[in-house]
Amino acid sequence: MKTSVMTRVVARVLLVPALVVALAILIKGYADTGDGFNAGVIAALGMLLQYVAFGYEEAERMMPVRLVAVIAFGGLLLSLAVALLPLFWGLAIFTHVPGPGEEVIHLGTVELITPVVFDIGVFMLVFGFAVGAIDLLARAIHRRET
Amino acid sequence: MRPRLAAPVGAVFAALAFAATLWGWLLAGGGTVDLPWAPSWDLRFTLALDGLAALYSLLATGIGFAVTVYASRYLPLHLEHQGRSEADIPRFHFFILMFMGSMVGLVMAQDLILIFVFWDLTAIASYYLIGYDAHERDSRRSALMALLVTGITAVCLLIGALMLYAAYGTFSLPALIEASEPGALLAAAGALIAVAGLAKSAQVPFQFWLPRAMAAPTPVSAYLHSAAMVAAGVFLLGRFYPLIQKTDWLLDALLVVGLGSMAVGGILALTRNVLKQLLAYSTISQYGYVVFMFGLGGEYGAVGASFYVIAHALAKAALFLTAGAVTEATHGETRLSHLGGLRRELPFLMVASGFSAAGLAALPLTIGFFKDELFFEAALERGGVFPALAVAGAVLTFAYTWRFWSGIFLGERRSEAHGVPAAMTVPVAALGALVIAGGLYVAPFARLAQAAGEVTFNAPTPIDPAYHLDARAENLMALATYALGVLVILSRSFWIGAAEAFARLGELAGPERLYFASLKGLNAFSDRIHDLEVRDLRTRVATILGPTGVLVGAGLLFTPTRGAYEVGAIGPLDWPLFLALILVAVAAIATVFPRRHLTLALVLSSVGYILAVVFAFFGGPDVAMVQVLVETIMALLFIGILVLLPRKVLEREASNPIPRRRKVRDAGVALIAGFFAFAVSWSTLSQPALEESVAQEHIRLAPEAHAKDVVTAILADFRGLDTLGEITVVGIALLGIATLLSRGRLW
Repeated sequence: MKTSVMTRVVARVLLVPALVVALAILIKGYADTGDGFNAGVIAALGMLLQYVAFGYEEAERMMPVRLVAVIAFGGLLLSLAVALLPLFWGLAIFTHVPGPGEEVIHLGTVELITPVVFDIGVFMLVFGFAVGAIDLLARAIHRRET
Repeated sequence: MRPRLAAPVGAVFAALAFAATLWGWLLAGGGTVDLPWAPSWDLRFTLALDGLAALYSLLATGIGFAVTVYASRYLPLHLEHQGRSEADIPRFHFFILMFMGSMVGLVMAQDLILIFVFWDLTAIASYYLIGYDAHERDSRRSALMALLVTGITAVCLLIGALMLYAAYGTFSLPALIEASEPGALLAAAGALIAVAGLAKSAQVPFQFWLPRAMAAPTPVSAYLHSAAMVAAGVFLLGRFYPLIQKTDWLLDALLVVGLGSMAVGGILALTRNVLKQLLAYSTISQYGYVVFMFGLGGEYGAVGASFYVIAHALAKAALFLTAGAVTEATHGETRLSHLGGLRRELPFLMVASGFSAAGLAALPLTIGFFKDELFFEAALERGGVFPALAVAGAVLTFAYTWRFWSGIFLGERRSEAHGVPAAMTVPVAALGALVIAGGLYVAPFARLAQAAGEVTFNAPTPIDPAYHLDARAENLMALATYALGVLVILSRSFWIGAAEAFARLGELAGPERLYFASLKGLNAFSDRIHDLEVRDLRTRVATILGPTGVLVGAGLLFTPTRGAYEVGAIGPLDWPLFLALILVAVAAIATVFPRRHLTLALVLSSVGYILAVVFAFFGGPDVAMVQVLVETIMALLFIGILVLLPRKVLEREASNPIPRRRKVRDAGVALIAGFFAFAVSWSTLSQPALEESVAQEHIRLAPEAHAKDVVTAILADFRGLDTLGEITVVGIALLGIATLLSRGRLW
């Protein structure tokens, strides 16, 4: 089953904006609505659109889908590390840096604080999970049909 | 790595451990390691090399060494017979070393929880060793039985430890021994701990797992019986003896259990035909003596029990290794009725194991003579009928030991045999030599037993076993034992019928039946629950919703709810929200009707989308956004899965009418659960809001966490641990999907 040209063009055009929006939501999460979870789902929806429009073989050729397992579990490890590393300094888990009342380094609106790193881990996991699940499903469907 | 290297590595480790223990005990004079382990829970990692620890660790490492040397030749042959590859060799040595390590840890531990941890480690190691021939069903079942019997009773040990902690506020055994006072609590805790020890030592009524454990390869049996698993049981009694002996009835109970085990083990050993079965029952009876001596009490009992363990370990290990070598020499023959007359083929083994057999039978000039001397002295000290019972037990030992040894080497030849490798006879000879050495010069062994006895008795125990060439009671009892033993051997045809009837009675009505019955009952019960709960998705949801609804309802009915269930006013601003909620309700009701799965998926997600509108009204943009996104991706995944299912199945499911009874049941469950959920929500929302809620605290703290968005701060900071748990679940779910769809290959 081949999708129409219009669908394919729209899907292609929407991919980059979806990823940019996701990135914006992710890094501005501490200042505005949204967080790593939302960003992950939005980015995954952008990818999903490619699957719908082009089929899984082409979508895989187009994007580094093979990396999503690494992304997902890398994200999980990153979040775990942020949570548990303070233990090595004798602090309680989830002790974030900088602490309350301390100076924060800003890059524009982006704050350089460890909760953001934790959030990035969540983003990677959610993104990896959604894309991974879609890809596994698409492959399974493909296998059944052939 | 070559698998054959495992044997030398294991043997070297065992030898080094033995040397280290010997050095630590003789030259360094013991010592203690004491580290805080989990200080907030009052747990300390305390190891001490005292007399008792030295005795059992020397046994564990020394006999472990003999067993690994023996296994270096036995195991390749064993695997060859079974057609298995040599790759299985390292597993054996790994678990033997683990067994040895946990045993040494157990005997040195001074902290109750540490003792429990090592205790369970020995059970785990024994599970893998007994089930080493994992392709045989019998072997797996025996391993499971040993694990269950010793593992479940290990919980008694834990309960006892926690009771003592609750009463005296410490897990340290020396502190407990000083602080504890006789009473109901100490008796109960002591009884629980004794149960754990007795089960591990395979005493009546837990004896049934040990003969089954003979499914293990012979070196494992030898080790299990003489120096590890089974010895750990009586070790535990010895370690906790200062606590146990404060309660008189516990000692009496030990007497009864010990006597019962002596009788059951001894009589059954006289009837068994399979070599290792005979030895297994003999072990039960031998540890029965030890328990009996603990029950007798007094300094003779304490030292005697320790000495008995040494003497028995040396002799029994050698006899097991003999059984293995004989079976090997005769191409797998294990039955006494088919063995005999091997004196010409295996003369060296005959002499070597003869020493050990003499030791077990307590003949003079062997270490065994002194074990019985102390045993008789302990019984004499107590007086009454006990000396007579002691002699009766010793007679049984004498008779079945003779049966074992003479059945193999004497009489006429009944089977073909060839020689066995030296590595399989030398350990037997070495152990036999030790048995004789102990008989000629008993002082080192006696000193070790004395040191152990001092720990057990918690007081000095100046007892020296020695030969006395006079007509004292012990000597007369020994002579009576030999005479009666010969009589029993000669009169076999008179009593064998009764003994076999006794064995059959045990098979028919013994505790093993109870074990199997309870295992079967548990299995059937869990099958029923499984059937009820997970037969299909509807039933599963019903089994969750039904009880939840009933429990919530019960909670609601029994909670005083004054002024609950108010109907508030609806202001002009509430109307859009109200309409949205009505839409949600309509959509939710609509999910009941569609027959086609695709329609159902779309209707379901429409509920979610409208709910997102509700959240937006409430001023929760974060939540609304998450709701929309989750709903979208869920709907897409749902449709993807529907595509994956065969169309025929979907159509059949859609056209199949649901039986009326199921419909009624599902509707009833849904109504109950829905009604009470509604009632609880209503009554909760009717309560006035709390002045100071957690949410306000979160909002107040958000700026301090450098966050302008409270929701994100909650997720990544305040309630970060929750998030961590949730994302871990997401990761596992991905693995689950991969397992279901592509056999676990992610990419």
